[in-house]
Amino acid sequence: MKKLIWFGIAVALLLSACAGKTDAANAPRHIKLPMGYIPNIQYAPFYVTADKGYFAKENIEVEFDYSFETDGVALVGAGELPFAVASGEQVLLARAQELPVTYVFAWYQQFPISVVSAPELNIQTPADLRGKQIGLPGLFGANYIGLQALLFSAGLTAKDATLDAIGFNQVELYASGQKDIVVGYSANEPIVLRAQNFNLNELRVADYAQLIANGIVTNEKTVQNDPELVRAFARALAHGIADTIADPTSAYEISKKYVENLDKQDKAVQMQVLNTSIEFWQAEKIGASDPQAWNNMNDLLVKMGLLAAPVEIDKAFTNQFVP
Amino acid sequence: MFTLKRFLSQIPWLGVLSLLAGLLAWELTTRLSGLPRFILPAPRHVWASFISSLTDGSLLYHAAITLTEIMLGLLTGSAFAALTGYGLAKSRTLEKIFAPYLVASQAIPIVAIAPLLVIWLGDGILSKTVICALIVFFPVLVNTVIGVRATPPALYDLMRSLRATRWQILLKLEIPAALPILFGGLRIGATLSVIGAIVGELVDAQQGLGYLLQLGDFQYDTAMVYVAVFMLIFLALALYGAVTWMEKKFVR
Repeated sequence: MKKLIWFGIAVALLLSACAGKTDAANAPRHIKLPMGYIPNIQYAPFYVTADKGYFAKENIEVEFDYSFETDGVALVGAGELPFAVASGEQVLLARAQELPVTYVFAWYQQFPISVVSAPELNIQTPADLRGKQIGLPGLFGANYIGLQALLFSAGLTAKDATLDAIGFNQVELYASGQKDIVVGYSANEPIVLRAQNFNLNELRVADYAQLIANGIVTNEKTVQNDPELVRAFARALAHGIADTIADPTSAYEISKKYVENLDKQDKAVQMQVLNTSIEFWQAEKIGASDPQAWNNMNDLLVKMGLLAAPVEIDKAFTNQFVP
Repeated sequence: MFTLKRFLSQIPWLGVLSLLAGLLAWELTTRLSGLPRFILPAPRHVWASFISSLTDGSLLYHAAITLTEIMLGLLTGSAFAALTGYGLAKSRTLEKIFAPYLVASQAIPIVAIAPLLVIWLGDGILSKTVICALIVFFPVLVNTVIGVRATPPALYDLMRSLRATRWQILLKLEIPAALPILFGGLRIGATLSVIGAIVGELVDAQQGLGYLLQLGDFQYDTAMVYVAVFMLIFLALALYGAVTWMEKKFVR
């Protein structure tokens, strides 16, 4: 009898261990995703993807991490994280330093950076930025590269202007008059400022330079060893972007759950930010990036002196995971 | 009798050999570990970045900016600390009045108030100088107080018996007596001032070694980060050496 009891206990323990392993095997893959900015309505497609269960359907659980873009790229390059949201030029800059990162999904189809200036400065072209003091979040990321590309289009460099790192405080500093030229996202700062009845002139980088904008970056190791994860992530996000484009109002409501105090902000302004962002996301095939645009950006970064030599484009991006 | 200690002590340039061995170990680690350059650049990558930034003038330019901030901060902070310290050393009442503020000022991490100072004073050299001065202030102040109070009372009696004036007591007795301890504070202050300059530059700057360090980080150029760090170490060692030399010269 005793032997039977011990046998039963042993079987029970064995079964529970197997169940534990099965549970672990089926548990969603937890992914920390560096977003590169603070929580914002502009990340609506990610919030929609998470909220509607598209990530969960692919057995992915995403934790949004609002750290700097360059930190995200570095962590992905170091193999610490599988994905990060980053701008395309960051991939080329990183690969030039031997970070094995690859751009696998294009989110923005146009470079979303603008330079906003007070009307009295009469800045109508990039050449008018010569000698001016320009506030930008920092000497890194899409804002910095976008500004440099804008200056370069007029034959200028960063040394022809004074660049002030002001953090993500462009709206506050412009509104308070402390800065009369700031760099920000075309779908964000200019709209928010105009909504507060501030007059401004705007120069869009997309009108002067062809750069690959924000998308999803992974590393070569993930591409080689876990392509299904990349494919699943791309599939889920493409679905979320499509839903956001199709129904911005619903996307706004969902975003309230992820962006603290979004409900306390002016809904009309936030909807305008979202709708303007959607203009940058529209694409014939969501997620695909243009090889010619990559080559153009590669050449531009060399001409700007940001790259010593062109980077191998074949390894810098791929459309193989685009659904 | 042969001992390792005796053998090593007889090797000339032991410090240099030690550095070379360290460099060799570093190079071997990068080659054998397979770590990519952006995580652990090899000495040759750092050297290449050093030569590049030296020849294009950027390294010396930024180092000069940081050194200017350090020197202004060190001189300002030390001078103010020495004056304040002397006053506190001579008056227990003053010490009791100001002690809470002085201790509180040191309890606040400089990293926390640096952004405020940049907002108030701008992102130029002034804010970095003030940050340096603040970080140097306390150690020099404390050492000044201790140094002045360490003056033997018997010497005061001697000076008074010789009808020395207040000014003569200060110049001929108190300052020479306090110098050894004061220089101890200056040595600490010299190395801390480098930290102060970098903290200010990391908050907001367009020039200086802190800016260069950040630029390297944001461009994934870890070799440049190393160059900036080594330059900072060199500045700190040079300042420490300069203060030590002054101590030997003035304190006999």
